[in-house]
Amino acid sequence: MTKNNATPIAFTVSDLTVAYDGKPAVWDADLAVPEGVLMAIVGPNGAGKSTLIKAALNLIPRAAGTVRFYGKTYEQARDLVGYVPQRGSVDWDFPTSVIDVVTMGLYGKLGWFRRPGKRERALALQALEQVGLGDFADRQISQLSGGQQQRTFLARALVQDARIYFMDEPFAAVDAVTERAIVAILSELRSRGKTVIVVHHDLQTVPEYFDWVTLLNIEVIASGPTREVFTQDLLNKTYGGRVAGLQAPAPSDDSAESPAAYTGYAPARAGS
Amino acid sequence: MTTLGRDQRVIGVIAVLALVAILFIGVSQTAWGIQYDYTLRTVALGGALLGVLTGVLGCFAVLRRESLIGDAISHAALPGVGVAFLVAGRDLGALLIGAGVASWLGVQCVNAITRTTRLKQDTALGIVLAAWFAAGIALLAYIQSTPNASQAGLDKFIFGQAAAMLESDVRLIAAAGGVALVMIVLFWKEFKLVTFDPEFAQANGFRVRFITALLSTLIVLAIILGLQVAGVILMVGMLIAPATAARQWTDRLDVMLVLSAACGAFAGGIGAIISAVSTNVPTGPMIIVVASILVALSIAFAPGRGFVWTLLRKRADRRRFAVPTIGGA
Amino acid sequence: MNRVYTLVHRGLCFVALLSIGAAIVQAQETVTPSDSFNIVATTTQAADIAHILTDGVDGITITGLMGAGVDPHLYKPTESDIAAMNDADMIIYSGLHLEGQFDEVFQALGEQNIQIYALSKPVKDAGYAIGGFTLSAELTNVDDPHFWFDPRNWELTTQDLADAFSAIDPDHADSYQANAEAYSAQLQALYAWAQAGMISVPEGQRYLVTSHDAFQYFGAAFGWQMTAIQGISTAAEAGVGDVQGVVDFVIDNDIPVMFIESSVSPATINAVQAGVAAAGATVRLGILPLYSDAMGNPGTFGGTYTGMIAENVYIILQSYRCAGVAVTLPDWDTLVQPEPTAELLAVDCAS
Repeated sequence: MTKNNATPIAFTVSDLTVAYDGKPAVWDADLAVPEGVLMAIVGPNGAGKSTLIKAALNLIPRAAGTVRFYGKTYEQARDLVGYVPQRGSVDWDFPTSVIDVVTMGLYGKLGWFRRPGKRERALALQALEQVGLGDFADRQISQLSGGQQQRTFLARALVQDARIYFMDEPFAAVDAVTERAIVAILSELRSRGKTVIVVHHDLQTVPEYFDWVTLLNIEVIASGPTREVFTQDLLNKTYGGRVAGLQAPAPSDDSAESPAAYTGYAPARAGS
Repeated sequence: MTTLGRDQRVIGVIAVLALVAILFIGVSQTAWGIQYDYTLRTVALGGALLGVLTGVLGCFAVLRRESLIGDAISHAALPGVGVAFLVAGRDLGALLIGAGVASWLGVQCVNAITRTTRLKQDTALGIVLAAWFAAGIALLAYIQSTPNASQAGLDKFIFGQAAAMLESDVRLIAAAGGVALVMIVLFWKEFKLVTFDPEFAQANGFRVRFITALLSTLIVLAIILGLQVAGVILMVGMLIAPATAARQWTDRLDVMLVLSAACGAFAGGIGAIISAVSTNVPTGPMIIVVASILVALSIAFAPGRGFVWTLLRKRADRRRFAVPTIGGA
Repeated sequence: MNRVYTLVHRGLCFVALLSIGAAIVQAQETVTPSDSFNIVATTTQAADIAHILTDGVDGITITGLMGAGVDPHLYKPTESDIAAMNDADMIIYSGLHLEGQFDEVFQALGEQNIQIYALSKPVKDAGYAIGGFTLSAELTNVDDPHFWFDPRNWELTTQDLADAFSAIDPDHADSYQANAEAYSAQLQALYAWAQAGMISVPEGQRYLVTSHDAFQYFGAAFGWQMTAIQGISTAAEAGVGDVQGVVDFVIDNDIPVMFIESSVSPATINAVQAGVAAAGATVRLGILPLYSDAMGNPGTFGGTYTGMIAENVYIILQSYRCAGVAVTLPDWDTLVQPEPTAELLAVDCAS
């Protein structure tokens, strides 16, 4: 699928810089993500992938730069954005049920003092069906497997019926069946015209799952359609050396360059 | 196990608690000759209401993995009591306000340390707890030689003196409890979401800092009111124990709050009554002992999570699955 | 219960022992009375008697550790206190574990050949200590330390302390003995005066209800019965049973007035008053707090021993008068110094 100038830009990042302790975690990032793509953000550990997303969603402070969602700021566009955080960011021993967690996705729309009711429960159930957890509605979240936990978080984002989805490592430590299921859901979202941006760790599956990719190592190395951007050279540049065992896509005209070790900023700490 | 089944279990637990309490009151009157006069009624009621307040708020503290914040808050209150005495004399209201301010500052300090340095929250809690409490002890040592210091009973803040509770104190605790419950009902989904997934809450436009501050303030309020009952050192027990006991019996947050309130009320009331049996039994520590017994029983016997239950289950599993493999390869 | 106090004061005592050890290494000579005679007194009463006996003698320095309104049961010695005791020629303390947090300090000092003198010693030796109290699991059958409330006991102390001073400082023995004799006369007059007043209260109403059990000797001196919420030490926490017991006692005996103390929190007394009110009776509070473990501010009437005893008697009698009991205020014996203030002689019960 090619994107032409008529396609609206869903997500724009300009000059984004995020710093921890005086060191940059994300430096001068520029992105323009068109609507309707399924995009992966890849890079080595500490490249700033999660940081980029969290800064975009105002979860951590920015040192510089702007972020726009369909031209609006995050405060204005909150209803358009859905977020799936990393699975390890919550305590799964919390006393609550699966459907309760999914309903939390609708809290934002309710505002202060209103309670979720029948309508919210029906929407939540619908989202659970979508991710294949329809029978698990009243299950305690402590009894879920890793894949089921991930799908619960996914359902929580789906119930928000957003236009842009941000997901932080949704495939981390998930079994193959769940992975297939999640990919199917993401593709379905894309076919409905949603934009899905995913922090992804497994280079092998990028060409298969994603039609757009952003290569990030504190700076944006490249961003664009997978076919154009996901090349051996650019990957080497991103990962600072040869990335072994990778099946590069059909070589483009620029592939004659020899790989050069890119010595950019060394990652400040493990984990973005 | 259906949700209804679990709820029945909780209702059963609350029923058992109520039954034991009633039996206890009956037995204590006949066998031990305890008089349920004004004094005992006041202290027992005050203890029970305090137990409800701390039980309910303690659930959020425990689920936020901030159990020891109660300890830090109560220890941090001590220098506030000393400063308030130096500034305003021995007026109880002034002392409690001083305690509240010092605790609140301590909590802010913990948050600031966690946010701006690499130290984790347990380290920050430990530092603030030790530093504030040491400052308090030093300040009290300095104060002890000034006139009227002993009349203020400043040292009683360390261990509590529940027997001196008046009706006005009970009314104050009840009022605070009312405020806390109203807040929890109003902000139920906010408290729940911010406790479970603060990141998601923030992304969805919830004012996480404000909600967390509101919750912290309620906890500080509960602890300050409880200082006179249980004292600085033991207050953390009143905050954590009922919630911990309740968690063993249910997997629903709302049910956990109710059960925690019941456990807190039981410990507060029965603890006060037990301390009336003999003339040398201090009330505050007795309340904590009863609460701890509830925790121990819950951890041991709660179905599904309890220690005893797990043991029996393992044995049953072994019996069930051992048979087909005997004689096998 | 007192583990925090114990921990803190053990730490302090460890440092104290270290500094005492250092002092030994540095200066081995014993101080002769030709230098300044350094006396350290723990309680206000101890400082008072020391001042009186050394009146007119030069070269005496008296350092008091606890001030007015300080609870000696709970007072923990500070660094400067221990330094002062180190430099002292003689340390005077009340004894019978009144200074509950000083035990280990005294033990350490005793090993240093510093004279430590317990004011309670002559009273105990003469067999006038009231015993049989339990302080804790370890301290059973202890004596009530509030011996000074019987002026006759204080007389014994006066004479014995004067003898102790004379032994250390024989040059001024005459002064000490003369001061002791004059003061003893005052104490005898004080006792007679107080006796006259206290027995003017009808026999069935001679009850003294206070926060802690500090007045056993006072009661024994004048034939009054004592009841208190806490025991002989304020260190223990009052229990519900303690409060209830006193409420019942007050109601059963129709006691019209209870007394708060100057060095103890009035919280428990207030709780008893509320309990009595809930049962339908009323009990008033004394017009002023009684001096129990500490005397009043220096320079006031209650700041001396005689004034303190007299003021307590006035407070009790005036409070009973305001409660409607017929009492007689005996005329003041001018031999006893200082003289009572006008506020004690004419009390407006409405205030």
